[in-house]
Amino acid sequence: MKKNKQVLKKSKLLQKAAICMAAAIAIGSLSGCGSSQGEENVKDAEAKRVTLTFGSHQSGLPSCGVVQELAKQYEEKTGVKVDFQISPDAQWRDLLKVKLDSGEAPDIFCVDADPLSLYARIRPDENVVDLSGEEFVGRMADYAKECVTYDGKVYGIRFAEPKLNFYNYNKKIFAELNLKPPTTYEEFKEVCQTIKDAGITPIFEATQSAWHQAVPLCVTGGYYERLEPGLYDALNNNEKDIKDVDMMVTVLEQMNEFAELGFYGEDYLSNTAESDKTEFGEGRVAMTIASQGFGSSIAENYPEMEGNVGIFLIPFGDSNVLGINASSAAYFINSKSEHVEEALEFFRFLAQPDNLQYRQDNNPEEMGLCWPEITPEYPAEINEYINSLDAETVLQVGVKYIDPQFMDIGKDIEAMYTGAMTPEQIMENISQRRAEQAKLQKDEAWE
Amino acid sequence: MAAKKIYPTWFVTGALLFYVVLFFLPGIMGIGYSFTDWNAYSPEVNFVGLENYKNIFYANSNYGTFIKNTFVFTLVSSISKTTLGIALAMLLTSKKIWGKNVHRMLIFLPQVMSFLIIGLVFKNLFHPSRGFINITLNAIGFDFLAQNWLGDLDFAFKSVLAVDAWKGSGYVMMVVIAGLNAISPTYYEAASIDGASFIEKFKYITLPLLKPVIMNVTVLNITYGFRVFDLVYSLTNGGPGNATGVINTAVYSEFSKGNYAMGTTLSSLLFIFIMSISYFILKVMNRGEVEQ
Repeated sequence: MKKNKQVLKKSKLLQKAAICMAAAIAIGSLSGCGSSQGEENVKDAEAKRVTLTFGSHQSGLPSCGVVQELAKQYEEKTGVKVDFQISPDAQWRDLLKVKLDSGEAPDIFCVDADPLSLYARIRPDENVVDLSGEEFVGRMADYAKECVTYDGKVYGIRFAEPKLNFYNYNKKIFAELNLKPPTTYEEFKEVCQTIKDAGITPIFEATQSAWHQAVPLCVTGGYYERLEPGLYDALNNNEKDIKDVDMMVTVLEQMNEFAELGFYGEDYLSNTAESDKTEFGEGRVAMTIASQGFGSSIAENYPEMEGNVGIFLIPFGDSNVLGINASSAAYFINSKSEHVEEALEFFRFLAQPDNLQYRQDNNPEEMGLCWPEITPEYPAEINEYINSLDAETVLQVGVKYIDPQFMDIGKDIEAMYTGAMTPEQIMENISQRRAEQAKLQKDEAWE
Repeated sequence: MAAKKIYPTWFVTGALLFYVVLFFLPGIMGIGYSFTDWNAYSPEVNFVGLENYKNIFYANSNYGTFIKNTFVFTLVSSISKTTLGIALAMLLTSKKIWGKNVHRMLIFLPQVMSFLIIGLVFKNLFHPSRGFINITLNAIGFDFLAQNWLGDLDFAFKSVLAVDAWKGSGYVMMVVIAGLNAISPTYYEAASIDGASFIEKFKYITLPLLKPVIMNVTVLNITYGFRVFDLVYSLTNGGPGNATGVINTAVYSEFSKGNYAMGTTLSSLLFIFIMSISYFILKVMNRGEVEQ
């Protein structure tokens, strides 16, 4: 009997619950039928829930977070969230190519782009949305447009000016040790020895990032061209083998000598490029390779560095030519993305004049933009120094099939530092990888 | 014999179909592509014969180092994890140990962690001046043991192997514990009455009865060893230079360069290695079972 009563109670409860649910569904469906406004609201809410994925390497976005700040402002305005997925520099190029090939690339991705390597890196005609018709494209500087153009179509948006690399040095350490910025390799060696004897690591090096150690070899390319006029053309037409460029071997030998002399310190094989600010800011290293904006970028965290950072040309090989790297991080929209329109809207937002100004004002690393409407803010001292230098395009932008193997060159140099490779073997590898790429891309000069 | 079978053979059809379509066929197709010049820059795929294989074995390349590293990794990783796993299992089935389940759980825990996280954590632990390991060694007066763990050619590969053993031995331990629990205590009691020492009991009772478990673990370890990628990629990315690169880091690199044919050639080679060695081990296992 007791059991029967319990069963009855349960069935009554179930009946009541069923009636309530049916009523709720009926009311819901009535309200749904009655208003198209409601539908629009739902659609708006769905639109607002869109999240754009933005893939980049660490050095592709300014470390001060200004792009993320702008993305937050964009989210507040439109409800579209931008999710930044940042990968280590050493892995990003390979990772992005694999993601593009497998159809898993993010909605927006950031790549260092220049005319020679753009196709090899992202194959824009297959993977990227054409931006040629966008209003903001007309406002970008011509050299910037060239870097993101393939087959007459503009595929990307970029903000940074051409990259310049210098040795940034701690003026205070130099003054205390009575040192002057070196202009030749021998002077450079003496400066480093004096700094090392004072118990400070002369140069910050970070082989874990792979690209960092390849910079001195490749940005000195303009100097190689000056020494042998027509070298870039000869290399691009396969009339000369890159392994026969003697000055490159000399530069590699000198870099290796620096490692052997302990000028990179003890941790350089375990360092990553991002720690340069800490190491330099805290005075543990006296010099680091970076752009001319490095001093301003660390002044926020290390106020004593304000006005305490100077620049000089990379003096390996006695180079006296400034390497200009027109390539820079540019953003592209994945043509297979489901949110192309939202991504385009985000680009339009970033290109608004007030947001361009906001970007420059809030990014100490970029004192100028590749947008002529924004006035650069370089200190007069740096401007004068840069203007006084003879400048030429860097190797990875002027010579084919160097940029796609930039990380491999870095790994080879790391191997040289550990004693596993010689400068000649590195040059042999560079030559071989160029030939492989040329063959893959069916380059007539190699056939 | 057939009458003793509990399930009919056609029960295996579904699983076999999935296996053939998703694993076997792509493997065979990969081998087919390894004889072509398939790449990202051209829609044409041309037959090139054995050229890709020649490039692996004859060209002035690092592939030889990668293949050697893969074999060394597989061998050392399998031996170290199995030995350590058996030792830990013996220890944690002993009646003298307190809190066995807690210990087992802690030792097994790294197994469920992502390789990427482990790689990033150990990269920091191994840093020569800021890493926990060297700081601890210096603090307790063992500074002569402090090394550049991932930057020194003599230690980089050993460090990767050490992290792999730390991560993987917990799994072997759990499998061996299950095997040890299945051994009847009467064997040990009888051996004790006969005056057998610990080593004799291990050699004549434990090891022979654990043989099927060890064989299974070895097959798993070997197939894992050949396929290793994540740990090497996240810890050293194949460096310093190419010193710790393995076949799969090279496959990844070739695919990212757009040289798909070379990527599939290296994968095919790996496929052949794994198939041959697994077949050989399974053959030995089956022979052992028949003899038993």
